[in-house]
Amino acid sequence: MNRDGEGTALEAVGLGKRYRRRRGHVLRDCSFRLPAGRICALVGPNGTGKSTLLALAAGLTRPTEGTVRVLGTTPARARERFAYVAQAKPLPPQLTVAATLRLGAELNRARWDRTTAERIAYGPEYGRAYGPEYGDTAGRTAPDLDLDLDPGPDLVREGALRPGDRIRSLSGGQRTRVALALAFGKRPELMLLDEPMADLDPLARRELLGALLGEAAEHGTTIVMSSHVIAELEGVCDHLFLMGGGRIRLGGDPERLLAAHTLLTGPARDLSGHTVVESHGTGRQLTALIRTDHPPTDGWETAAPSLEELLLAHLRNPEAPDLFTEEPEKADEGDEAGPTGGTGDPGTTAATGVTGETGETGEENVRP
Amino acid sequence: MTTTLPAPPRSAPAPGLGLARSLLRLHRSALWCWLLLVVALAAAMLWAYGPGYETAAADVQEQCRTDIEACHFPGGPWLSRYSATVALTTLVVSFLPLLVAAWAGAALVGRELENGTAHLAWTQSVSPARWLAAKLAVPALFVTVGAALLVPLHRLMWNGGGDLLWTDWFDAYGFRSNGPVALAYALCGLAVGVLAGLLTGRTLPALGVAVTVMFAITQLGDQYRPSMWPTVTVTGARSLSLPDQALQLDRGVITDDGLRIGNNMACSDADGSVADLRSCLAHSDLADVWATFHPRSHFWPLQLTESGIVLAVAALAATAAFVLLHRRTAAAGAAV
Repeated sequence: MNRDGEGTALEAVGLGKRYRRRRGHVLRDCSFRLPAGRICALVGPNGTGKSTLLALAAGLTRPTEGTVRVLGTTPARARERFAYVAQAKPLPPQLTVAATLRLGAELNRARWDRTTAERIAYGPEYGRAYGPEYGDTAGRTAPDLDLDLDPGPDLVREGALRPGDRIRSLSGGQRTRVALALAFGKRPELMLLDEPMADLDPLARRELLGALLGEAAEHGTTIVMSSHVIAELEGVCDHLFLMGGGRIRLGGDPERLLAAHTLLTGPARDLSGHTVVESHGTGRQLTALIRTDHPPTDGWETAAPSLEELLLAHLRNPEAPDLFTEEPEKADEGDEAGPTGGTGDPGTTAATGVTGETGETGEENVRP
Repeated sequence: MTTTLPAPPRSAPAPGLGLARSLLRLHRSALWCWLLLVVALAAAMLWAYGPGYETAAADVQEQCRTDIEACHFPGGPWLSRYSATVALTTLVVSFLPLLVAAWAGAALVGRELENGTAHLAWTQSVSPARWLAAKLAVPALFVTVGAALLVPLHRLMWNGGGDLLWTDWFDAYGFRSNGPVALAYALCGLAVGVLAGLLTGRTLPALGVAVTVMFAITQLGDQYRPSMWPTVTVTGARSLSLPDQALQLDRGVITDDGLRIGNNMACSDADGSVADLRSCLAHSDLADVWATFHPRSHFWPLQLTESGIVLAVAALAATAAFVLLHRRTAAAGAAV
């Protein structure tokens, strides 16, 4: 999977960022480690620092505190090896799609993959429909092209891009396609995609996910996608980061994150002794999401939570302790960032302090 | 260019070339506008230098032959066409630095930071520093080529029409159009514009800041130009008849006590004859008169000194731009 033997695609230690004009930190004490080769979903509500984190990783801004390392080195040194697509999908409005791709070729001369870029921009059928001049040059002969010159609706789907289209005339989703084509054309080892799905229709979303999964499978590319829509990434990602309060609150394999939690239902009663992520009651009935490998058996009805339930429960309770299913490895370096426990052992964090507090919250919810 | 030299062996494609080509692609319309402007100015100045001047001169001569008054107050449609062309082209050439600054601040940098396409470039295989270097170098090349064409043409036109135009070598607009300071100010405009774009990060504020600052710089240049090279001071009768086309800066008297008084026109109407001056001085209890001026021969020293100063300002602005960009973007990925 990882080509460098480095094994870490993205790593932050005590990362913090505050903007001059705004008070307070957007990111604070953010520590995590993303192994190479993962497809990672970066989820969280609006304004929790997802875009800031990705911009820091892309080397576009400088952290106020801490460090971020990309592909085992600094963002500046890794520049050629990662791709970044900003949330606004900025592209020079005056260029045509073809000129934009040429721009990508000129700015990434060492590693540009034109075929891949054009396949993403114009769709997989494009080369067939319009001939080798624009894209797929492999294995098409002139007679085939003659036959295909007038593509039917099944060949080029509605809204597909043409090379001569100006960027300023494109819709948001079409711009996203071009921005992603630039990212794919770079043949990166790591893709940092900020809300890549937001403007895409369901069909285009499916195509994009297919392309991303294909890229990851074929080349071992690490992919980090941010989103505030949790559902759209479920089942696709094999790593998950939940952001909140300017840090990563949950990190790891979604399966293992889910396995670490249990949804309890039963008559209202004391839950102290457990790490309660969230509990809410309806009358005498109590539903609680607790963090444990060994669910209590005494009279509780237990169930495995869905990913959405798990994330929403954490979002609704900012007090819930952080959890990483894989420890951020070299986190010891960030000792000075330690006190708030972002990098600390989740087990000990869970066992102290926070537990009672969340238990109280649970009881309060029960009474009315 | 010679074709006999073998091309140096190249293992990897030069990255700077791709960056330069991408820059030209992005600013193609600006490039065309610049070419159009240079060609239009060059054509207008060539016309004024050749047919414009000749027609106007012939017309003035013709009028003088028919009407004695026209000899002293030359006029006529051709002369006004000719002098308007000269005035307009001089105005445009002398204010090109403002145009360059406005474009560099707004279109070259401000807009790219505002809509995020700068960040797009920085996350391709191009570092912000190289991006900025290209933003300065490629336009600088075109500005230099344009100035190298326009300035000699302007000199031709300006010097060729001296008898019809009553021009002075120290005229502010003419001075800024007639020598290397034109290029220096234009390059300074580029650097100031780029810095303004980086500072504001937005199109319109960058435009405003760049034009304002560049205007201030040219005005300061106009104001302090006489101090940029040692002046010549003469006393006695020579101060009353300064050399032809001298830029007189001050004139005054020296009292019998040896006190030097500036900005004093006493005895300056003595008509140059030594005897006349002596009687006037004796009459007014003065020892001597003096005048300070720049002779015409100071044109080139003044041009070169001012160019040096303005280029230093440009270098300062460019350095500030690099430092600013370096501090903003993450060179190390770590807080410093």
